Amino acid sequence: MSDRNDRWGDLLRRANRGDGAAYAAFLTECAPVIRNIVRARSGGGDEVEDVVQEVLLAIHAKRHTWREADPVTPWLYAIARYKTVDLWRRRKGGTPVPIEDVAEVLPDERSGEVMAARDLAGMLDRIDARSAGIVRAVGIEGESAGEVGARLGMSEGAVRVAYHRAMQRLKEMAADETGRTG
Amino acid sequence: MKTEDLIAELAAAPAAAPPTTLERRAALGVGLGVLVTLALFLWALGPRPGLAAALADPVVAAKTVLPLVLGGMALVLALRAARPGVPGGALARVVWAVPVAVAGLVLWAFAATPPEARMAAFIGHSIAVCLPAVVILSLPIYAGLVAALRSGAPVRPALSGALAGLAAGGIACGIYSTFCVEDTPLFYGVWYSLAVCLATGLGAVIGARALRW
Repeated sequence: MSDRNDRWGDLLRRANRGDGAAYAAFLTECAPVIRNIVRARSGGGDEVEDVVQEVLLAIHAKRHTWREADPVTPWLYAIARYKTVDLWRRRKGGTPVPIEDVAEVLPDERSGEVMAARDLAGMLDRIDARSAGIVRAVGIEGESAGEVGARLGMSEGAVRVAYHRAMQRLKEMAADETGRTG
Repeated sequence: MKTEDLIAELAAAPAAAPPTTLERRAALGVGLGVLVTLALFLWALGPRPGLAAALADPVVAAKTVLPLVLGGMALVLALRAARPGVPGGALARVVWAVPVAVAGLVLWAFAATPPEARMAAFIGHSIAVCLPAVVILSLPIYAGLVAALRSGAPVRPALSGALAGLAAGGIACGIYSTFCVEDTPLFYGVWYSLAVCLATGLGAVIGARALRW
């Protein structure tokens, strides 16, 4: 436990100072532990890996909130628990409703597609222009992350992370809309 | 996307922001908030006449010093709560000394005030100014602090919001107290406390949404 704390602390210290290899090692070693935390709090299922990736993105986004003097494992586990609980609450927000009760209001598939395309355009207007541009280019026009990155002056990795985050936001928006109308 | 690919991409990202980002932003946010609050205070209320002489009385000074001390401690606790896994430490217990001191002052004033004068001292004449003024004056500080806390990672957003509200309420109350001429703890010990509690509750409600990430 303490060994792990020292080792991960050392890796994250180097990572936060710009050592990419140490950072990759840190995230790779954390991932199985995070997976266990997520699984323990969700009972398994297909979405576990999605949540693990969300937790990794959260750790990435908040890695500056760890101070080198603090133990790293409590920091890491606190983020993992918070994100897991938060994401699970968002995804399983509604109580289950018997299908017969909603069958009449379920759209048929064709109109669903039209709705989806229209909603997507509407939702893209509600996220920042840069992310919307990346989603349009990668998700709709099928450009590669490398091409988009070259155009926007971002690294390929940064484009993929931005795309992943934007898609996550769009999914949340879509879930909110469904929650409101359905 | 596969998790290994995600890790490879994250590892290729530029280095992290410096670890003192949170403190620097909090200093900036609270500093700007206090300036706005002071401007608002001087425009709408202003200090009482003979402020310096009044503050020479420790019972009067307490109504300025205690909320400021409370606000300062809450500010430190709010910053700690914005770092995952960092405990509140001894300060989380020491902070309770302020309400205990206030309760002591109220009891002392209750005993020292003649029974027939207690009700008048307790009701005073400015509750309708005091409560809204403290809450409103706390808002610029709260906004500055919450904006900074969003760059942290509060794993209990409502608690962090409450601590930010307590910090902002305490500082705002200390500023307001230099306007207020109701000097008995029977008044300020009760109504200032209520005002700071309102700011704290409001902070918790807003923080539960604004500090999610």
